Amino acid sequence: MLDLDGIVSRALAAFSAASDAASLENAKARFLGKSGELTALQAGLKSLSPEERKSFGAKFNAAKQSIEAALEARRAELADAKLTARLSEEALDVTLAGRGRGRGGVHPVIRTWQRIEAIWHSLGFEIADGPEIETDWYNFTALNNPENHPARSMQDTFYVDLKDKDGLPLLLRYRVDSDATHSPMFHQVEGLWIDEHISFADLKGVYTDFLRRFFENDELEVRFRPSFFPFTEPSAEIDMRFRQGGWLEISGSGQVHPSVVRNFGLDPERYIGFAFGSGLERLTMLRYSIDDLRLFFDGDLRFLEQFE
Amino acid sequence: MNIPESWLRNFCDPKVPGDELAHRLTMAGVEVESYALVGPQFSGVVVAEVLSVERHPNADKLTVCTVDAGGEKLQVVCGAPNVRKGMKVPLARVGASLPGLSIERTTLRGVESAGMLCSARELGLSTDHSGLLELKADSPVGGDTRTALGLDDKVFTLKLTPNRADCLSVLGVAREVAALTGAPLENPPVKAVPPKNEAKHPVRITHPEGCGRFAGRVIRNVNAGAPSPDWMKQRLERAGQRSISALVDVTNYVMLELGRPLHVYDLDKLRGAIDVRWGRQGEKVLLLNEQEVEVDPSVLCITDESGVIGLGGIMGGESTKADEATRNVFLESAFFYPEAIAGRARRYGFSSDASHRFERGVDFANNVDGIERATRLILDICGGEPGTTEDLIARLPERKPVHMRVARAQKVIGMPITDEEMATAFHSLGLSFRRDGDSFVVHPPSFRFDLQIEEDLIEEVARIYGFERIAAHPPRAPAVMLQVPEKKRSLHALRERLAAADYREVINFSFVAPAWERDFAGEANPIRLLNPISSQSSVMRTTLIPSLVANIKYNQDRRVPRIRVFEVGRVFLRDAAAGDGPLSVAGVRQPMRIAAAAYGPALGEQWDDSLDRPVDFFDVKADLEALCAPLAPRFEPAPQPALHPGRSARVLLGGRVVGWVGELHPRWVRKYELAKPAIVFEVEAEALLSVLLPSPRVPSRYPPAVRDISLEFPSGTTVQAILDAIAAEKPPIVQVVRLFSLYRGAGLPPGSKSLAFRVVMQHTERTLTDAEADAARDALVALLGRRFSAKLRT
Repeated sequence: MLDLDGIVSRALAAFSAASDAASLENAKARFLGKSGELTALQAGLKSLSPEERKSFGAKFNAAKQSIEAALEARRAELADAKLTARLSEEALDVTLAGRGRGRGGVHPVIRTWQRIEAIWHSLGFEIADGPEIETDWYNFTALNNPENHPARSMQDTFYVDLKDKDGLPLLLRYRVDSDATHSPMFHQVEGLWIDEHISFADLKGVYTDFLRRFFENDELEVRFRPSFFPFTEPSAEIDMRFRQGGWLEISGSGQVHPSVVRNFGLDPERYIGFAFGSGLERLTMLRYSIDDLRLFFDGDLRFLEQFE
Repeated sequence: MNIPESWLRNFCDPKVPGDELAHRLTMAGVEVESYALVGPQFSGVVVAEVLSVERHPNADKLTVCTVDAGGEKLQVVCGAPNVRKGMKVPLARVGASLPGLSIERTTLRGVESAGMLCSARELGLSTDHSGLLELKADSPVGGDTRTALGLDDKVFTLKLTPNRADCLSVLGVAREVAALTGAPLENPPVKAVPPKNEAKHPVRITHPEGCGRFAGRVIRNVNAGAPSPDWMKQRLERAGQRSISALVDVTNYVMLELGRPLHVYDLDKLRGAIDVRWGRQGEKVLLLNEQEVEVDPSVLCITDESGVIGLGGIMGGESTKADEATRNVFLESAFFYPEAIAGRARRYGFSSDASHRFERGVDFANNVDGIERATRLILDICGGEPGTTEDLIARLPERKPVHMRVARAQKVIGMPITDEEMATAFHSLGLSFRRDGDSFVVHPPSFRFDLQIEEDLIEEVARIYGFERIAAHPPRAPAVMLQVPEKKRSLHALRERLAAADYREVINFSFVAPAWERDFAGEANPIRLLNPISSQSSVMRTTLIPSLVANIKYNQDRRVPRIRVFEVGRVFLRDAAAGDGPLSVAGVRQPMRIAAAAYGPALGEQWDDSLDRPVDFFDVKADLEALCAPLAPRFEPAPQPALHPGRSARVLLGGRVVGWVGELHPRWVRKYELAKPAIVFEVEAEALLSVLLPSPRVPSRYPPAVRDISLEFPSGTTVQAILDAIAAEKPPIVQVVRLFSLYRGAGLPPGSKSLAFRVVMQHTERTLTDAEADAARDALVALLGRRFSAKLRT
C-alpha cells in the first residue's frame, strides 16, 4: 500500500549522492522535513484502522530509523572527508629545520674542567680556585722553590709591575712559552689530600683511578716513575700509555714535602699526603685527539662548534 | 746528557741488554729519553764479498753480482761503477732498514736481486754516492757492517732532574746501574802521576763560602798542538762534545768520565797568585765565549794581580786561555758551592757545562783524582813534566748523618717494606749506614747533594724498591657527604645558561694590547707585564670586551656570518685597598667576569626569512636577564667608553653596579674593522652566584580582572620610571602591570609617545567587582597623569 521500502531506498540513494553538508541537509528535508515524504506518510496514518496502524507503525518506525541512521552515517562520512581534505591541505614539510635560536656550548678545556671536577668531587674533593696574579711566596717560596731556581727567571715566569709586602714583584701563574704544545696561558688541575695517613700508595690508587675515569678506559696503563719537584718527596712523574704504544707524561705528583706541610701551618710529623698537578689542555688534547694547543685560544667558532 | 753504552760498560757491565737497562734507569728516576745507535740509523747490513760481476742482460748501466754474504751466495743487481770482484762492500739484505728505505726482494729489469749493495750515502754516512762504500779488506764476511765501521755503539740520552747531579758523568750513571742491577762497579783508572819537578802555582781562597777547595798542578813543556787521539774524539763526540784541542778535550773527557770539571790555564799568562773571591763592582772580564761581563759582589771570581781572569765554576777568561802556543799549563780542580754559582750564568744569558754541574753539586772528594787522571792523559797526548799536585782545602760541605725511621718510611710510602729491603736499597746505592733502634742512620757520600732529610732517604728506598712494586690502592677515609648548597650556583651553571642561549665559550689571554685597554675601558694605567711575549700582550686586561671584539673580527674574517661568543675570566684591577688573603693578593683585585658579544643576524639563517633581522640591544638584554634569573637586574642609561652613548646601560643588582650592556661604539666598530655593530655585556660573576631559595605563594582561587590602558607620555620618560611609580603607589589589588605596546609617530603630538599597559588585578579572598577594577584602573591613570603628565588616549 504505501511504499516504505521505496522511500527508504530513495532516501539512501539521495544521501549518498549528496557530496557536501548542504546538499545532504536538502536531501534530509526531502524525506524527513516538515513536507518530506516520510512526514507526509506519517500524516496518512490517521486514516488507518488501529490494527493496521499498529502493524504499519512498526514498519514506519523501522524505515524512519534506517533513514536517520543513513543520514548520520553520511554526515559522518562527509565530515571525515572534509577533515581529511583539510588535514591534507595543512600538511607540512616536516623535514624543514626547526625554527628559532641555535645552541652554543662550553669551551672544550672547560668541558674537561667540568668532567675533572665531577670525578674528583665524587671522591669527596672540594673545589678551590686561586688568583692568577700571585705572590712569590705562594708560587715559589712556600712550595720550597730555591731562590735561584730557573723557574723563577724572567725567561720562565711572567712578572707584573706590582710588588708584594716584601718588595718582591708579583707574578702570573703562567709560563713564558708559546708553540703547538705550550701556551703562555694554560689551565692546571692541582689536587691535594693531607691527613694523618695518606701515602704514596694512595696517590697511585687515586690518580690511576682518575685517569681511568677521565678516559673511560679501565684498561688504561698508568705508570709512576721517580722524578723531582721541590714541593714533593718522593716525587713521581705520571705517564700513561698512549695509543701508539709509547708513554706520555700526564702529571707531576708526589708526597707533599714536609717543609711545604709546615708552610701550610701543619705539623709534618702528624700530617702527610699527596699532591698532583695536570694540565687541562693536555688532557683535553688527548681526550679528543687534538694536536695543536693553539686551537684552544684562537676563538675559531668552526673549531669550537664541534664540541656540542 | 749523552752516555755512550760502551763507555758506561767499562765501569759497570751488567748482563742486561741496553734497552732493558734504559727502562730500569727510567723507572729509577734517571729518565732515558732515547737509546739509539750512534751515527746514522741503519740495520740488517752485512759485510759481503763480491765473488763475480757480470753484465746485466737487459741494462747497460747495471751489473749482476754474486756476493758471499757469509756462507751464503746471493745474486744482487748493482748500478755502481766501482763494483769489482774481490771487494768487500755493505750488503743491505732483504729486511734491512736504511735511512728512509727498507729493503725487499725485488726484480730489476728481469733479474732478481736479493738485497742492495750500498754507497756511503745510502747508509747515511756521507753525501758520497759516486760508488759503493768499500770496506776494509780484513772485515769479516757476513759480519755486521756497523761493527766493521765502528758504529756498533749505542747512546743513552738522559733527561736528568736537577737533584741528580751525581749522574752527570759516566761514572755517576755507572754507580746507578750498579745499584739497580747488582753488577760490580769498576773503579775508574786513576793513578797518581809522580811529579817530575817542584813546580807549583800559588793559590789563595779569600772567600771559602764560595770556593771550598782548590787543587792545582803545573805541567811544563806540553805540546798543546798535539792532536787528540781518535778514541777520545769518538767518545767525546758520542757524549755530545765537540773536539776542540787536546788540552780542552782532556778536561772535557775527565768531566764526562768522573763528573769532575777542570780548567786549564796558560801558566805563563797568569799574573801572580790566584785568588778566589767575590767580584767587586765595576770589575769586568772577557770570557772564553767572547762575552765581556761585568761582575759584582754576588759573583764568585777567579782573580790574579791583573784582576778577574774567570768566573769560578762557570767559565774561564780569554786572558789566561791555553791555546796551541801554550807551553806550560796550570790545571784547576776546584769545588764551588752550589749557592755561590746558581743562577749567575743565566743572569749573563748563557750556560756552561761547568756551571750546570756546580750549581747542582759536584763531588768535593775527587778533586785530586781529577788532576791525576787529567795529568796522565795530558802526558800521554801532549807530553810534558808535571809538578806537584797542590790541594788547598778551605771549607768542605758538611755531610750530616740522616736518620730514617722504618715506620715513617712505611707510612709515607704506604707499603710494609721490610728493614732488610731498606738495608739492601742503601747498600746497593753504596750509602754507608748503621742501625739505631728502629732507624737507619745514613752518611751521605760527597757526590750526593740530595740526601739531607728523612724524606730524601724515603725517596731512595721507594726508588730502589721500585715505584712499580708499590701498590695502587684506594685510600680509606670516612664516608662523609659533601655540601651541595642550593643558594650558591657555580660558574659552570652560568656557562651552561649562556651556552643554552646560543653563545659559544671562548678563552682569551689575560694579557692584551694597551690600546684595547685605552679604547674599551678608558684605562691608561693597566697592570703591566715586566717581560711580555709581545707588545700586543703587554698589559693585564681590566675588561673582557676587547678580546671578544677580537674574536668577532677573527671569525668575521673567516666568513662566519653570525657570531655569538662568551667568556668567563678574570680581570685585573689596581686597588691599593685590596689586602692579602688566602685567595687574594694585596694591591690588586682579580674578579671573575662574564662577558658576551652577539654580532650579525639575531637568529641563524633559516628558511623562514620573516625572522631575518640583525641582533639588537633588546635581544642581548633578554639573554642577560635570563642569565641573571631569578636575580632581576635593573638597567640605567649611562655612558661607557666601549659603548654607543645612547645605547648603553649599566646593570644593577641590589642597587650595586655589576656590569654593562650596550651596543659597541661606532668608533670602535670602525677602528676594529667590524662590518656591523656588536652588542655586548660584561658583568661581575660574583654578583650572580648567590640566589635565594624560592618562596612560592598559593595562587588566588578567584578570577582576575584585566584592564588595558593606553597613555601618551613625554618621549623622554623611561618605562622603568613609570613601572617604579606604579609599583610604589598602585592599589593593592593590582598584581601585574605589563607594557604591551609602544608607539611613536603619526597621530601623536610631537615629543610624545604612546604606551599601552595591561593591568591584571586579583583579590586573594573574593571575586572583584567591575566597579573595583575600574576604580583601580582610574587610580593608575590618575597616578601617571600626576607623575608624568600622561594623558589617557581615547
